[in-house]
Amino acid sequence: MSQDIYERLQKMVGEEAGPFEAADEVNKAMIRHWCEAMEDANPLYSDENYAKKSRYGGVIAPPQMVQAYCIPPLWPKRVLPDPQAKAVRMMDEAGYAGVVATTTSQEYFKPMRIGDRLSYKIKFVSVSPEKTTRLGTGHFLTSEYTYTNQKGEVVCVQSFTILKFKPAV
Amino acid sequence: MTAKSIYWNDVKEGDALPAQKREITRTTVVATAIATRDFTPVHHDHEAAQKSGANDIFLNILTTGGLIGKYMTDWSGPEAQLKKMVIRLGATCYPGDILVSGGKVVKKYTAGSEHLVDVEYNFSVAMGPHAWGTVTMALPNKG
Repeated sequence: MSQDIYERLQKMVGEEAGPFEAADEVNKAMIRHWCEAMEDANPLYSDENYAKKSRYGGVIAPPQMVQAYCIPPLWPKRVLPDPQAKAVRMMDEAGYAGVVATTTSQEYFKPMRIGDRLSYKIKFVSVSPEKTTRLGTGHFLTSEYTYTNQKGEVVCVQSFTILKFKPAV
Repeated sequence: MTAKSIYWNDVKEGDALPAQKREITRTTVVATAIATRDFTPVHHDHEAAQKSGANDIFLNILTTGGLIGKYMTDWSGPEAQLKKMVIRLGATCYPGDILVSGGKVVKKYTAGSEHLVDVEYNFSVAMGPHAWGTVTMALPNKG
């Protein structure tokens, strides 16, 4: 049974979806809301006079914010053919009810400037053999998100690993 | 707005970043969830969080990333560029936790024209390490 799910997941490696467009362009209000919640006073994100004299020539968004622009809106509902979500559903059906995020990384290549329009692709990049952890037994699933701007430049590549597991009893 | 920056020349491997503390309230968890556009119920709905096995609503991962970036540029100043961030996730951060941040420079090097440092950081809560990993930043250079 578990061998079967592993084989099915292995067959999915390399599956890709997108590009999906961000609902909002990079804008000052969302940056301010982010900085307010984080208590981030970096003038590059908020002070037009400072940012004008910086290497960017204007305000930029915090690089870590890239994912926030790309979360699908609550409404209208978008159903994205996300391979990670598909893998998670497959594992749910096979009895791996637990999920925990274990590692994420982001590498930044281009700044996000006011007015930039982002889009992203999701690729299912790996599944681990069955592992037993203190949480239970399951597989680590890793997806890669590639975010680009309207010029086709890669802004950020993010990897995201979760453990889907049968909870230990 | 002050805009003091740390220069690559002045940094040494082993330098510690000043520790920071942030009191995490219910408002913090909800405000950061909304600001990061993460409407997953476990970050605002107590019952949904408990049903998922958590004690309470808890901080989302985007916020952990946001706070790590803030911690880095609070230290470096705004001329530094965040290049890469790796986040290993541990204990959940709940309302009532004090999130304590620490870090140190573990590597100083150049790549092409860039003057880089790797900073190892750790964010902890009462239950243990919340997040840890390495951030690579390019710092301004004198000379």
